[in-house]
Amino acid sequence: MRFYFSLMLFFVFGLTLIAQTDEFFESKATIGGYGELHYNYLKAENTNASKTLDFHRFVTFLSYNFNEKWSFKSEVELEHNFVHSGEGELELEQAYVEYRYADWFGFQAGVILPSIGLINEYHEPPLFFGVERPDYHNKIIPTTWFGNGIAFYGNYKSFDYKLTIMEGLNSDKFSESNAIRSGRAKGYKANAEDLLYNLRVDYLGFTGLKIGASYSYNNASGDTSQNAVSIYEVHTSYQRNNLYFVFEYGNIDYEKYNLRKSNGFYFDLGYDVSELLNWKTKVIPFVRYSDYNTAASTVTGGDSEKSNHYLYWMVGCSVKPIDKIVFKIDYGMRTKELGSQKTTLFNLGVGYMF
Amino acid sequence: MTRFFIISLLLYGAINAGIKEEAEKTVKSFFGSGFKMEMIKYNIPYDIKNGLEKKYRQRFFRNNLYLWKIYQGDTLHAIAVMDNVYGKSLPITFLVIFDSNTKVIHVEIIKYRESYGGTVKEKGWLDQFRGRDASSSFEFGKEINSISGATISAGSVTKGIAKLTELISIIKSDL
Repeated sequence: MRFYFSLMLFFVFGLTLIAQTDEFFESKATIGGYGELHYNYLKAENTNASKTLDFHRFVTFLSYNFNEKWSFKSEVELEHNFVHSGEGELELEQAYVEYRYADWFGFQAGVILPSIGLINEYHEPPLFFGVERPDYHNKIIPTTWFGNGIAFYGNYKSFDYKLTIMEGLNSDKFSESNAIRSGRAKGYKANAEDLLYNLRVDYLGFTGLKIGASYSYNNASGDTSQNAVSIYEVHTSYQRNNLYFVFEYGNIDYEKYNLRKSNGFYFDLGYDVSELLNWKTKVIPFVRYSDYNTAASTVTGGDSEKSNHYLYWMVGCSVKPIDKIVFKIDYGMRTKELGSQKTTLFNLGVGYMF
Repeated sequence: MTRFFIISLLLYGAINAGIKEEAEKTVKSFFGSGFKMEMIKYNIPYDIKNGLEKKYRQRFFRNNLYLWKIYQGDTLHAIAVMDNVYGKSLPITFLVIFDSNTKVIHVEIIKYRESYGGTVKEKGWLDQFRGRDASSSFEFGKEINSISGATISAGSVTKGIAKLTELISIIKSDL
C-alpha cells in the first residue's frame, strides 16, 4: 500500500518537479490575436446587389504557462463589431487547461476545438485563401466549431494525432440547408448526455505536406429528436517552393429523418509569384473550386437535394507584405443546381495574426 | 515514504541531467567518435546582442548561451550553440551546429513544448538550413519554406537560427 502511495506521490509531485527545473523555461503570460475586415459584394441573378463592410472577427488570445507541463490557453472572439438584439456574437472559443507530458502525450480540458478538417484549428486569416473562409468550412464542416470537453493529443514519428471527447450536437437544429452547423451548442449549457467523439490522424513526414483524416461520431439529441451522425473527412495541404495546394473532402451521414447525407469538397491551387518578380511582398494568386451539398441525400429526394447543391469557382489573390498580415481579393461565381441560379461574389479583405 | 524520497532524489538527478545533456547527446551522435567537446557558457557582448536583437526583432533567451566547441585533435572542427525562441506561447529550445567556416551543418529541436505546430521538429524542414551562413538569406516563406499550421513556430525558429548564424560569424575569432 505504502509503495502505491509513494508511486502516486512520485507522479503528482515528481513530474511537477521536472517541469519546474528546466532552466530553458520560464513562467510567462502571452497575448496574441487575429482579426479581419471584409468588403462583400454579392449579386444573385434577378436581384439587387448587396454590399457590406464588416469587421468580421476580432479575436484575442491569452495564455499563461504555470510551468513546463501545465498551461492555460484562451481565445475570445467578437464577431461583427458588437452584440445587440441577436446581431453579432461574443464567444469564448477556447479556454482550457493543458498538460503536456511529452511529445507523444498531452491533454486539454475546457472549451476546446475538435480536430475536424484543415481550418477548424488553424483559422487565422493569413493561413487560408479567400476573404471569407471557404463555403465548405461553413456548410459541411462548420468552423469555428468549439465546445466543452477534453482532448488527448500527441506526435510520434511524424504522426500527429488527437482524440476529442466533447459536448454533443443538438439534433433538433440539423437542417437541409445548414447540415449540422446550427446544432453546435458552443459550450452553452451543452448536452453532456450524448458526447461527441472525434479522432484525427495526420502524417507530416514529407516536408511541406500534411495529409490526414478524421472521424467523428455523435448520437445527437434535442428536445424533440434523436439522430446519430457520423462525420469523416480527408484533407491534405502542400506548401513548398512557392506552390500551395489544399484539398478537403467531408461527409456527414445521418441515422434518421429525411436528411441522410451532406457532403462536399474544395481544392485551392496557388503560386507565390514574388520570387519571379523579385518582390519582397508575397503575391499569391490562386484558384478554388468547390462542390458541396448540405442535402446530398434525402429520403424524399428531388428538389431538396438540388436546392442545396452548389458549385463555386473562385479566383483571387493574397498579398502578404509580412507573413502575419494579409490583403485579399477574390471573385467568384456560385451556381445552385436547382434552376442553375448564379450568384456573383466579389470580396476584399485585410487580416492579421500575432 | 522512504521510497518516495529515493525516487524523488533519482528524479532530481535526472532533471539536472536534462536539456543540456540532451543537446550534448545530439552533438555526440552527430559527430560520432574521434571528436572531443568543450562546453562553455558564453556571455554575449552587450552591443552585439543588442544589435542582433534589433535587426531580427527577436530577443536572445538570456545574456548567455550554451556553446560547445568540437575538436578533432587540437583543431577546432565545429561549434554547436543552443538557444530558445518563443512559439505561439511556449519556448522552443533548439541547437545549431556550425562547421569551422560558420556554415550551418545541422539543426535540431531539442525541446518543443507547444501542442500545435510540431512539424518544425521534422528533419526535412530543418535540413533547409544546412549550408547557410551569415551571408545567406533566411527569408521565411521564401528561402525557408513556411509550414501550414506552424507559421508562428517555424517563423520564430527561422529567425532564431539566422540570429545565431550571424552571432557565430561575429564572435568566431574570440572562441
